Amino acid sequence: MASKYDLTPRIAPNLDRHLVFPLLEFLQERGLYPEEDILKAKIELLNHTNMVDYAMDIHKSLYHSDDVPQDMIDRRAEVVGRLKALEDGAAPLIGFLQNPNAVQELRADKQYNLQMLNDRYQIGPEQIDALYDYAKFQFECGNYSGAADYLYQYRALCTNSDKSLSALWGKLAAEVLMQNWDIALEELNRLKEIIDSKNFSSPLNQVQSRIWLMHWSLFIFFNHDNGRTQIIDLFNQDKYLNAIQTNAPHLLRYLATAFIVNKRRRPQFKEFIKVIQQEQYSHEDPITEFLACIYVNYDFDGAQKKMKECEEVILNDPFLGKRIEEGNFTTVPLRDEFLENARLFIFETYCCIHQRIDMGVLADKLNLNYEEAERWIVNLIRTSKLEAKIDSKLGTIIMEPSYTNVYEQLIDHTKALSTRTYKIVHQLLENAPGQTAR
Amino acid sequence: MASRFWTQGDSDTEEEESDYDEQEDNVAVETTTATAASRYYSGNASDSDDSDGQKRVVRRVKDKRFDELSATVDQMKNAMKINDWVSLQESFEKINKQLGKVMRVTESDKPPNLYIKALVMLEDFLNQALANKEAKKKMSSSNAKALNSMKQKLKKNNKLYEDMINQCREKPELFEEKVEEQESEDDVESDTSEYPDNLESEESDDEEETGNDAETGSGWEKMLSKKDKMMDKQFKDPSQITWDTVNKKFKEIVAARGKKGTGKMELVEQLTFLTRVAKTPAQKLEILFSVVSAQFDVNPSLSGHMPINVWKQCVQNMLAILDILTQYSNIVVDDMVEPDENETQKGADFSGTIRIWGNLVAFLEKVDVEYFKSLQVIDPHTREYVERLKDEPLFLVLAQNVQEYLEKVGDTKGASKVALKRVELVYYKPQEVYDAMKKLAELDSGDAESGEEKVQEIRGPTAFVATPELVPRKPTFPENSRALIDILVSLIYKYGDERTKARAMLCDIYHHAIFDEFSTSRDLLLMSHLQDNVQHMDISTQILFNRAMSQLGLCAFRAGLVLEAHSCLSELYSAGRVKELLAQGVSQSRYHEKTPEQERLERRRQMPYHMHINLEFLEAVHLACAMLLEVPNMAANVHDAKRKVISKNFRRLLEMSERQTFTGPPENVRDHVMAATRALRHGDFDKAFTVIKSLDVWRLLRNKDSVLEMLKAKIKEEALRTYLFTYSSAYDSLSLDHLSKMFDLSDAETRSIVSKMMINEELHASWDQPTGCIVFHDVEHTRLQALAFHLTEKVTVLAETNERAMEARFGGGGMEGLPLRRKDGQDYAGAAASGGGGGRWQEFSFNQNRQGSSGGRGGYTISGRASAPGLASSGFSRDRQARLGRAYHTGSGARGGQSDGSARMVNLNRGVRT
Repeated sequence: MASKYDLTPRIAPNLDRHLVFPLLEFLQERGLYPEEDILKAKIELLNHTNMVDYAMDIHKSLYHSDDVPQDMIDRRAEVVGRLKALEDGAAPLIGFLQNPNAVQELRADKQYNLQMLNDRYQIGPEQIDALYDYAKFQFECGNYSGAADYLYQYRALCTNSDKSLSALWGKLAAEVLMQNWDIALEELNRLKEIIDSKNFSSPLNQVQSRIWLMHWSLFIFFNHDNGRTQIIDLFNQDKYLNAIQTNAPHLLRYLATAFIVNKRRRPQFKEFIKVIQQEQYSHEDPITEFLACIYVNYDFDGAQKKMKECEEVILNDPFLGKRIEEGNFTTVPLRDEFLENARLFIFETYCCIHQRIDMGVLADKLNLNYEEAERWIVNLIRTSKLEAKIDSKLGTIIMEPSYTNVYEQLIDHTKALSTRTYKIVHQLLENAPGQTAR
Repeated sequence: MASRFWTQGDSDTEEEESDYDEQEDNVAVETTTATAASRYYSGNASDSDDSDGQKRVVRRVKDKRFDELSATVDQMKNAMKINDWVSLQESFEKINKQLGKVMRVTESDKPPNLYIKALVMLEDFLNQALANKEAKKKMSSSNAKALNSMKQKLKKNNKLYEDMINQCREKPELFEEKVEEQESEDDVESDTSEYPDNLESEESDDEEETGNDAETGSGWEKMLSKKDKMMDKQFKDPSQITWDTVNKKFKEIVAARGKKGTGKMELVEQLTFLTRVAKTPAQKLEILFSVVSAQFDVNPSLSGHMPINVWKQCVQNMLAILDILTQYSNIVVDDMVEPDENETQKGADFSGTIRIWGNLVAFLEKVDVEYFKSLQVIDPHTREYVERLKDEPLFLVLAQNVQEYLEKVGDTKGASKVALKRVELVYYKPQEVYDAMKKLAELDSGDAESGEEKVQEIRGPTAFVATPELVPRKPTFPENSRALIDILVSLIYKYGDERTKARAMLCDIYHHAIFDEFSTSRDLLLMSHLQDNVQHMDISTQILFNRAMSQLGLCAFRAGLVLEAHSCLSELYSAGRVKELLAQGVSQSRYHEKTPEQERLERRRQMPYHMHINLEFLEAVHLACAMLLEVPNMAANVHDAKRKVISKNFRRLLEMSERQTFTGPPENVRDHVMAATRALRHGDFDKAFTVIKSLDVWRLLRNKDSVLEMLKAKIKEEALRTYLFTYSSAYDSLSLDHLSKMFDLSDAETRSIVSKMMINEELHASWDQPTGCIVFHDVEHTRLQALAFHLTEKVTVLAETNERAMEARFGGGGMEGLPLRRKDGQDYAGAAASGGGGGRWQEFSFNQNRQGSSGGRGGYTISGRASAPGLASSGFSRDRQARLGRAYHTGSGARGGQSDGSARMVNLNRGVRT
């Protein structure tokens, strides 16, 4: 049941091999799947990387034996050999880069740098490419910080735009894996710019890149302080929303969560509800269904049920269910926030269409007991988020209807007229000389 | 066409031929005639050269000049066929020079008719070439340059002869005859000189006697036997037959083709005979190609179809061609190069590539067209029609084989075209029909095959080049039609050209819609952007688009998506020409007469009966949807009914039915829906549903019960809404229980519906939760307030009119957003669009002239009201189909405009009701 809403199988194909690890770790922790399966999946994952030692460890713990298959040992030897070779290839440039005095000679001008390297250090394009290969290899071996450094240097020197792009992806992955969220965010934006630029290869490619970018960004956004606002900014752009709708409707979960968790109601929210309504058929997810219940069907009982499911989903989602340890407690901050806001959502809409609500029923709807509900509502009234009064004798809340004044409406209607008229006159005058000249 | 010079120019045959030419153009096998003609022409030229040499002394100078002139004209004709503007230009210059000479010789101030005719022809062709934008784009640069210079020269030149040309256009026969007179002496001479072969001249004399009715008169049977005798005589002794004799005879027969006086059937017979005596596979192939194209000639007119037995033979011949091609993989079929004369001499054991002229795709398309035409013409209620339908597997197997062959050869473009033909035969079939066809194919093809075999054996001697039947004669079908379509369509998407892809996409959409996969089908439509550019496609694709749209609408209706269904169908019904738009019958318009030409064209576009979409059903769905949307809408805006109209068509019908003094019991679909509407407006959902249900078109639904159930639920819902709109002012509060009972809905449903209305501010009320009541708020405006609103509105209109006047004067764009804001003020989508419009306005007001038109486009489609009459009046009415897409544009404005090529553009359900 719990695994029904697990998105790992759908997300993983859009991630780098190494990025899948954290997800598997999380799954292992949650125990949704048999431990054995996860370990096997890990080995499978590692098979194509160079982290052979790690694979051996897992193998040992999986089969509870100290024997390691021969091909792993062979592979290890091969990896070490290749590492040496690549290191040698990139050595001149690395040597140069590690010399702080030499690095100072580099300038902002790329052409100049290349020329200078070529002339004075005999470092040509081959060495620069070797640096790229070496960085890639380092990354495969799990040495992310090294890879990130080299890739950074490489990007400063490279001239091939394709390779530069993949270097950027690599850098992003490395930063994510090292959990340097700030730098990762920078890289993300850089990458986004490139992808959105007009001269990106084919539209299909572009969509695919966007989808990758969005998947990778999940790591950043749900760990970065400001991420929840930024995820909306990114995902809710037309281009990205289109990509989601076309190819990755499961990402709507994260966007929906971000919308719910965000304190500020956004103007795009209504638009987003329409998207959810439209995509209902293609993807089933408690969180989007929750929104659909409130804003499409006005089914509050349904919403309440969904809320429980949502909690489950959040706990089991590697991105949403991030834990924070506080002494003996572990809390999932996002869950609490989500529930709080979801409650507010329900209540808000509910209040919109009611003029009198029984407290007991409301408490029930909000998953709170009577006392809590009362306190909660009093709080809302106090902070003037809600215009209502509590009738404690009858145990009801009475809303105060808020209709815009007729006069206000009239003023609204006519307000724009004068500016428009001015504009016309202005335009007319502006065009008039041209007319006579003609 | 090439032989026009030689024809004994009777206006009848003339017309026939030109018709025929057109047709050739249509199916793009013009190359067939082109080469045939050129071959003919080249032979002819050398021949007459010879004769010229002998008779030069006798000829008058005048005749010689005329001959030169006509030779140039012929050259021009040839150049036209291959679209070669460079040589056309040369010829044109040449002809102008020659004209001077001729004028001098004849001492007349009038140019010869031949010249005028050439000019007319040239002009027509030029216009045609200019109209065909796509072909123009494809031209090589030198060719295009020649075309342009030609345009100017011709314009200048034609001014001189303007009245003559007009005369010629009006009465072509006049010119025809005169040419005839002048040429007649020549004709006899050259006729004889051209055919040194005794036999041939004898024949043509014969022909002259029997006159024009070569096919129908009894004469040709006689001749046939004579000819057969002749053939047998010539090829009596198999041992004496060599490649040369066969080749010579073949050339001879081909040369006779297309000339007046050659029986078309007889030509086929002769060629078929030759296939049996052909010496090498390549030769057999070449002759077979000629047989097939001769078979296409059998049917002379454009509207009639090829006789069915000929069609079947033709398919068999095509299969034989494929047999040979599969057996000898070194033979290459090509229509680009003129093959070597003796290419076919190379025997079966020759290992290099042999090039044979031919175009499988074009032939296949022609076969398809003939099949389609036969179905158009045959009365669908007869046995014959059913019989004809049974031939479909035969075509499918042919197409399948051709496609496989082309794929093997690597001609993916051709293969995708053939795949499209297959898709077009399958896409409209629901699973049941598909299964039936599959069964029929498995059952039938065996029998037909053996029958065919026997016929083959009886006829004539055994062939020299025996071709085993290599390609399968039975079509293979995957289990369900979806699988088949998927395979074909993905091939097409990969390799096809734009038109093929578009058509395949439409078929795909149609097919998905039949199978009740609305969302997939809608996504395909939206992602392919077809609705944006279908206007620019050919009419048959537009028809296909309309068909797909209506099927999509039906699908949406079955899925219970009333709004979507309505937006799919409403455009179709807006002009009241559904029949025409779907090509399911010719509609008569009271207001404008169609020319016979238009009528003929329209007739040619008709869909065969078995592909029809039931119009009554379509109308029922459309009107039911319109009713469900419009009735509550009317109830909501009682006071200004004109303001927000969802379906104009429906409103008009309603008005008409209300004007009647007495309303009888409903008879047709409209009456039923109108009766239901009347009931619904009073909130009587039960009666409304019973009336709708009594329509017998619902039996066409596969899942009738569930759809009717859905319809009932919708009617209840809308009845509730209508009731609330109409009577809410009379109540202070209403209990939920009461409402639920009244409309036979569950509490939850009622609550949901009412809540939705409250949120959307359609209903000024709120729930009183402890008592379960709706409490209505009194927000009625006082008279003064209402008048004040009225005034502001008027002022806004004034401002808008001013702006528009400005815009018209100075050509600014982007103000269209503003009227919209007024029109549906609280509509969310409207607000969004007008917001965008406002922003644009500011931007454009400074540089309107340049960006005005492009920016305004999105706006025009949104505002619609202003632009529609403009479109209709500017001669656009001829293919109104084009406007179908607009229903979708309406929604697109806000987002679609900005999003890039890769993703979906438009939301189907944006905007009409929040």
